[in-house]
Amino acid sequence: MHVFVTVGSTRFDALVQQVLSEPVLDVLYRRGYRTLDVQCGNSDFDASLLRRDADDHWQRAGDLETSIWRFKPSLKEDYERADLIISHAGSGTIIDVLRLKKPLIVIPNPTLLDNHQAELSDALAGLGHLRSSTVADLPQAIEGLDTSTLVPFPQFDGSRFRELLDEEMGYYDHSRETGARH
Amino acid sequence: MGVLSWLALIATLTVAAGFLRLCIMLTAPRPAKPSGRREAIETCSFAVFLGSGGHTSEALILVSALNFDRYVPRTYIISEGDTLSMQKAVELESAKAAEAPNPRYTFVVIPRARRVHQSLLTTPFTAALSLIAAVWHFTVGPLMARPPVPEVLLLNGPGTCFVLCVAAYMNKFLGLKSPKLIYIESFARVRQLSLSGKLLRPLVDRFVVQWPELVKDKRRDECRGWLV
Repeated sequence: MHVFVTVGSTRFDALVQQVLSEPVLDVLYRRGYRTLDVQCGNSDFDASLLRRDADDHWQRAGDLETSIWRFKPSLKEDYERADLIISHAGSGTIIDVLRLKKPLIVIPNPTLLDNHQAELSDALAGLGHLRSSTVADLPQAIEGLDTSTLVPFPQFDGSRFRELLDEEMGYYDHSRETGARH
Repeated sequence: MGVLSWLALIATLTVAAGFLRLCIMLTAPRPAKPSGRREAIETCSFAVFLGSGGHTSEALILVSALNFDRYVPRTYIISEGDTLSMQKAVELESAKAAEAPNPRYTFVVIPRARRVHQSLLTTPFTAALSLIAAVWHFTVGPLMARPPVPEVLLLNGPGTCFVLCVAAYMNKFLGLKSPKLIYIESFARVRQLSLSGKLLRPLVDRFVVQWPELVKDKRRDECRGWLV
């Protein structure tokens, strides 16, 4: 089983450092994960125990085979390959991952000034679509994750916006006569 | 009365009339019925602002839901230097080309109102530059028989979209043709409106949020669930 960690284009030192710590690596191994990829973005982390095999690319030998790198043009393949995704609270990442029906643990970055991102992950966690955790509680969150209890996220429904705009612009044939202002 | 007093009187009256016009526009109830009825085969020109990053992603998801044969021509308004948004829009257009074989779309580039980390001191100047570009595109250009004003403008943040909204509003103020303004608050906003949401809420024709908690006034705000 494969786990993928992503911080998007942000910097989230604490999450990257925590993911590479013994408690997290141990619990991942115990839960059956054998490979780990970390997309670390602009984060700083302690690379002293890692082998650097290219610019912005590191490996870590051990029971859990680990690769760390900074950026890729698209993360879609990484999401698809993963059995579990651990991510920062960016809304784009959250939507992409949930639409692929992958189990997701979200860690909002507490150092962001305007931390509205936690709003979204808390709300979606409340609806059961994902788990929300903190950097410190990540090992427990992984330990306690039961993917069978996650609620599937609805697929994209383009008709809502299409009908809204059609109706506003006077195309009544495809619109419903509902909505707050009618 | 001297010439100066007359000028002062005229200036005062102009300002007062302008203020009155603005008050009427801001307080008048929005039309119960939207634009006149259109036949299914009629087209509608469309513009969207791509505000980079998550704003662009959400805006393009919304655009992808539209009938591309109906909403033509399409104008993608982007901030100066935002090649990633341009690239994503081109990707969407080529993906949609299968269903609407003659893609008619253009890009309009507007200087940024404020760069990330830009000092608040210099912001008024860059914002003014941005506003001039927007007014050029929406007011001056169309008056000089350049491409006409789009019939609808979709906005979802951040800063620069306020400038576009103000420019479109200026047309309304002057009694010129102006686009219908539709603002869609980000899916990420659950309990609190974004700054652009708060700024644009009194100005737009449709103010749409994606989480019911954000509906404060049912006559102004609407929520139809998740749109992305």
